[in-house]
Amino acid sequence: MSDKPPATPDPVIRSERIFKRFSLGQRWEHWILFLSSLILLLTGLPQKYRTAGWSQQILSTPERLEFIQAIHHITAIVLIVLALYHLGWAIILMIRRKLSDDILVHIQDIRDFGQMLAYLLFMRKKTPAFGKYNFEQKITYWFVFFGTGIMILSGLILLFPIAITHVLPGSVVPAAKLMHSTEAVVAAIFILIWHFFQVHIKRLNLSMFTGKLNEEDMRTYHALEYERLTGEETDQTGDGNS
Amino acid sequence: MTRHLTFAYLGIIILAGIFFFQVNPAASAPLEQESPPNPNLSISDEYCLGCHGQPGQTTTLGDGSILDLYVDPAVHAASIHGSQGYACVQCHTDVGEYPHPAFEAADRRSVTLQLNAVCERCHTTQFQLAHDSVHAQALAEGKTAAAVCTDCHSAHAVQDWVDQETGETLPEARLAIPETCAQCHNAIYQEYQGSVHGAALSDENNPDVPTCIDCHGVHNIEDPTTTQFRLASPQLCGDCHADPQRMTQYGISTDVMSTYVADFHGTTVSIFEKISPDQETNKPVCYDCHGVHNIKRADDPEKGLQVQENLLATCQKCHPDAEENFPAAWLSHYIPSPEKYPLVYYVNLFYKFFIPTVLGGMGILVALDASRNLINWRRKNQKPQEPPAEEPATNQPLEEPAVENAPTEESAETQAIQEELPPAADEPSTEETAND
Repeated sequence: MSDKPPATPDPVIRSERIFKRFSLGQRWEHWILFLSSLILLLTGLPQKYRTAGWSQQILSTPERLEFIQAIHHITAIVLIVLALYHLGWAIILMIRRKLSDDILVHIQDIRDFGQMLAYLLFMRKKTPAFGKYNFEQKITYWFVFFGTGIMILSGLILLFPIAITHVLPGSVVPAAKLMHSTEAVVAAIFILIWHFFQVHIKRLNLSMFTGKLNEEDMRTYHALEYERLTGEETDQTGDGNS
Repeated sequence: MTRHLTFAYLGIIILAGIFFFQVNPAASAPLEQESPPNPNLSISDEYCLGCHGQPGQTTTLGDGSILDLYVDPAVHAASIHGSQGYACVQCHTDVGEYPHPAFEAADRRSVTLQLNAVCERCHTTQFQLAHDSVHAQALAEGKTAAAVCTDCHSAHAVQDWVDQETGETLPEARLAIPETCAQCHNAIYQEYQGSVHGAALSDENNPDVPTCIDCHGVHNIEDPTTTQFRLASPQLCGDCHADPQRMTQYGISTDVMSTYVADFHGTTVSIFEKISPDQETNKPVCYDCHGVHNIKRADDPEKGLQVQENLLATCQKCHPDAEENFPAAWLSHYIPSPEKYPLVYYVNLFYKFFIPTVLGGMGILVALDASRNLINWRRKNQKPQEPPAEEPATNQPLEEPAVENAPTEESAETQAIQEELPPAADEPSTEETAND
């Protein structure tokens, strides 16, 4: 796709630039997160709804319950390692002063949200121009970030209640149980609807597979980033911040 | 035709079968009503008491022990059997005119076991129930001391323990029950007497507290050491303790059952009970914390579970490494409130607001986004030749959907096709290191 164009412009052949969006490491992180969360959800739901008939069909014997719990705990370790890797990598980048602030929440994101709302209510004709990550993607990231944090912390409390109560009051255990089981369902519903809509229904965004974004998508959905990288204007900007 | 004949024959056979079984009453004795016809009914009680009403009548048994054959006429007359006119020979069926056949038995216990079988003639239901009991089991294993009918009901002084109209145990009988069981189970009786239930029974004959039979059953007394009994026991306690009518007068919360089932231990126990009642679990049931026969008030100053050390000691039975904070991990049957377990209460409150806010807001945004995209897409299809040049003219936000304007996607698309630039893929990729 990104081969050199022929010397004379051909109306049929056109060149299109491809923008790198996610590194291989980031894509691995995403898919490990996806798979581990899915397994944790599938093994966690029957435990949450223990009194329901369908749950009792799955967890029909104590051995099965133990087996499901073993899967849950092993997968949780994978997720914890992933979270530590993610945080560790961010800290290393921060020390090297190379951590991008693309994903951080800025005042601009709140303005973008307002403008997007105006656009959706037909009070504006264009979507706002977004940077590398738009506010919707930031919501997804930070929701998962804090959700995973809550799940890991509360899960560890539930796994080691005796050790935890050596230092913390006993009521953190029932509180952790409540958080763990509630947050899981909220996060699952949120990601399922929100993320699925954003990357599959609204448009099919396969950049988590390919790591790349084509020029058209870049210009349309990440105009500011496009301008920053190419120095070219897009029709998304100019009026977007008015 | 042959088919009809077959049916007719079948019908005759069935009717004959029914008739045969109905005219064969010896097989199925009527329950509890009248004793079955007895060949010796002509023999009156006076006739028997002529000898057995005289003190000093004895016989020597196989092991050399002496069996007293005296029956106090007053005792029998005062019993439920005597007062309703049942005759000696209705139970002692094998004796008739004097001299009756000699009574032979190896020892005194054999006498009881031998004569006890006769109860089934009238009290078939109870006798059959007792046959499934832990006592009958022990008897079958050769433990002859295991209780049979007469050990609890006596032989000649049988009393009516049930109100025939309501089917309830009579108040006097409730008092007598623990003492009856105490004949063999004295150590447990002593514990029970000191418990909140036992004390209320013996002090005030409280009709609400359980006697032995309310938990263990009457005739089909179950082995209480089995896994099944253990797993089913919370329901046993719940029968009274989740009953508001019974509990309000004592100020005891009826949430004890539901809060138990909602917490770790109770959930597991109730599910084990449902799906694998044979499977052993170390999860505590009510009596693991509250005690079995020696149940005390939860606020008992010495033994009560509200005493922190007592609760910790109880936890440590299964969680030996637990320290003083640990017991609070169990909600102690409380429903979290700002006073009791505020942390749990406020976490719950947080999610009560968080869930509708987040999921509701997200749902609205997705719905708006989807409809706006759908409208855009339909407009694009309706007006495919719209010139994109019109775009910059109308920049100000509009209240009404601007039909004449092509959506942004379209203009971006048409322009992108004309792009002709050298591959600049290197440039963006240098930015990659900046990703977190």
